[in-house]
Amino acid sequence: METLNRSIAPEFKKVEEVRVPAISSLTLPNGQPLYWINAGQQPVIRLEIIFDAGAWYEPLPGVSNLTLKMLAEGTRARSSAEISEYLDRYGAFLEQHSGTDRASLTIYSLAKHLGAILPLVQEMLTDSIIPEKELNNQKNITLQNLRVNLEKNNYVAGQLIREKVFGKSHPYSHSQKPETLEAIHRETIETLYDHRIRNRPFRIVLAGHVTEVELALVERYFGHQPVEIPLSSDGTAVQPLSETEPVLVDKKDSLQSSIRLGRQLFTRTHPDYFPMLVLNEVLGGYFGSRLMKNIREEKGLTYGIWSNVSTFPRAGYLIIGTDVKREFTQLTLDETWKEIRLLRDQPVPAGELQTVKNYMAGSYVGSLNTPFEIADRYKSILFDGVSTDFISSYIERIRAVTADHVQEMANRYLTDGSLIEVVVGGK
Amino acid sequence: MIRYEHFVLNNGLKVYVHEDPTTPMAAVNILYNVGSRDEDANKTGFAHLFEHLMFGGSKHIPSYDEPLQKVGGENNAFTSPDITNYYITLPSANLETAFWLESDRMLGLSFDPTVLDVQQKVVIEEFKQRYLNQPYGDVWLKLRPLAFKVHPYRWATIGKDISHIENATMDDVKGFFYKYYLPNNAILVVAGNVTVEQVKQLCRKWFEPIPAGAPYVRNLPQEPEQTEARFLETEAEVPLNAIYKAFHMPGRFTDAYYRADLLSDVLGRGKSSRLYRRLLKEQHLFTSISAHVLSSLDPGLLIVSGSLNQGIRPEEADAAIEEVLKEAVEQSIPEEEVSKVKNQTEATLVFSEVELLNRAMNLAFAANAGDVGNVNREADRIQAITPDDLQAIARQVLRKENSSTLYYRAA
Repeated sequence: METLNRSIAPEFKKVEEVRVPAISSLTLPNGQPLYWINAGQQPVIRLEIIFDAGAWYEPLPGVSNLTLKMLAEGTRARSSAEISEYLDRYGAFLEQHSGTDRASLTIYSLAKHLGAILPLVQEMLTDSIIPEKELNNQKNITLQNLRVNLEKNNYVAGQLIREKVFGKSHPYSHSQKPETLEAIHRETIETLYDHRIRNRPFRIVLAGHVTEVELALVERYFGHQPVEIPLSSDGTAVQPLSETEPVLVDKKDSLQSSIRLGRQLFTRTHPDYFPMLVLNEVLGGYFGSRLMKNIREEKGLTYGIWSNVSTFPRAGYLIIGTDVKREFTQLTLDETWKEIRLLRDQPVPAGELQTVKNYMAGSYVGSLNTPFEIADRYKSILFDGVSTDFISSYIERIRAVTADHVQEMANRYLTDGSLIEVVVGGK
Repeated sequence: MIRYEHFVLNNGLKVYVHEDPTTPMAAVNILYNVGSRDEDANKTGFAHLFEHLMFGGSKHIPSYDEPLQKVGGENNAFTSPDITNYYITLPSANLETAFWLESDRMLGLSFDPTVLDVQQKVVIEEFKQRYLNQPYGDVWLKLRPLAFKVHPYRWATIGKDISHIENATMDDVKGFFYKYYLPNNAILVVAGNVTVEQVKQLCRKWFEPIPAGAPYVRNLPQEPEQTEARFLETEAEVPLNAIYKAFHMPGRFTDAYYRADLLSDVLGRGKSSRLYRRLLKEQHLFTSISAHVLSSLDPGLLIVSGSLNQGIRPEEADAAIEEVLKEAVEQSIPEEEVSKVKNQTEATLVFSEVELLNRAMNLAFAANAGDVGNVNREADRIQAITPDDLQAIARQVLRKENSSTLYYRAA
């Protein structure tokens, strides 16, 4: 038997393509679009109903989130307890999400129970009564959870960096405070419900075991209600503004500091998007990144350090974050800047760049494994104005980024003083 | 339903293959039959520290992560009281890279002192980040030693104390590796766009040459029956009072386990559960409350926990919880309520099989516990539970003298 040489890596293939099922669509009789992905082996379904709500459309931070929560807290026909009881009886899970520019109500259900669940969902969207008592209950729960979160350095640091990057008045930096929560009344919620949800435009995305049966059910319950376009767009067209002063929140009892460094970037349609993604990956986007190697794997200053590019429909930002032993705060900041300067001064070596691109390609394909993940990826094409070949050309576009591009990005976006610094803990 | 094939290598490594040609990916999951329950009481946190060292280079391969990233793969690992589990997902075309990496670190580690030194620091920061620098982060550090007096479940997987991690030596590391990281003390699951033949061939090439070691025979002190209620109070700079109640219950994969699990759902799963509805919605005593079970292999715990509404004293909240528990003991749970929690469990099981990696892990956990077939029997075993079964398990578990209660007071 030939001896096995364990020092040599096996041959491998580069991932060059992404294969995902196409998304199908139709227009419901009331003009609202229905999209679906039929994929996966399990008899499950996810139904997502998406509205033009979220931070962009709310008068105060937290209003949209609370409105979505209140959809499950009482309709004309059913009390809050009856709604939970009904969903649980079918083992269905309800999820409410309020993001920057959209809000959604999502149901996860076994396909066989979809027909039983949809009438209730329809009721929530058209017939919610927002009972005062349940609202006070929800406000109190939200307030108490918020008080716990405000004790967490990383939570506070996350709030502060968004405020600094986008400016306090920008919807993208909306974060709940006890006083903003206090200022929300039943009328505030009702107005958002009327202007953004009840009989307002929506989009439906189905994923999982989708057949004619499920499509017919969706049409039956959501295809016929009248839909009115809201008069005003309500959206506040605030120009995001960055502040540059470093922020230090001193917490004398903290063993660790939460550090955030951030700046505004752009949306996914910007020409620098893909080269910036690669730069971010090299710097702190994966376990083998330069920041992880230096700060965790060589110096042991932290459990983890990462950088991340986030994009929304109207803007985007970059954040570097970590929690470190308090006395290493300055050292971590210095070392982070050292790594950034290195990326500005020298091109990323060919081998490292190759590894990063291969990793990004593989993890992209790996992130499209379930019908839900596939549907989520399509949403940015459907709703954010990203080109239709975004998924299929993703790998090619990553592969096209050169070491020169990466260096150019570092010199364009990561200059000295370009990142706002937030430290919660001590320095 | 998860389909699988099974074979055993000459060195005792048990292999399970789950073919799913609909994905372009493969998942490779290696479970080592060692967890924090196997640790020395004076060297706790070691199984988890060791997990970190598994990424610090192996016998022939200086870096574990980089070659995997190069072929588009991702990996991670976790340690529990019962097991240490390592997993990779990668494009199935590059499956062999996973075999190369995993077999080499099963064969031997670099045992580099610098790696030990750095990972001790990293784990200490993890200890602080997750357990000390978070509101309520130290709950399990207090609740475990209250509920367990003898069984090694009495310490948390992160360890009893930071000093245990600081004091670990290279001799400890080597001893641990050669005792537990053996082919005959592990389960390999390969899932995704792979074939059984291909996996067999790769196993013979990469894993079979690794010598078996002396079998590890687990002989842990079992927890004696608790005979009186235990109680502990602690105080910290947190915004709200909280309460935690732990009851001893049977271990995973036994019939009684499923009954206790379903009972915990009746009590505190979701917004229609008894605790949520009565104590949060109706009486406004809590701002969160739930019940769940620890799915440990040795007899574990049923936990009821909640955060108290402002101004509510723990004594008052505790009495209200006791009322709800008492009713489950004294009165039969209505058929309709039982069928509700069964439906919830059914949906959870089906959804847990959507992800390829979860299917691989479910196989590994069941195989490690002694019978892989359990993975596909859970749904039926749960459906078979009757209201009488639930009342019987409530009588057995929800007794005062079987309880440990922790009041976590806001300073």
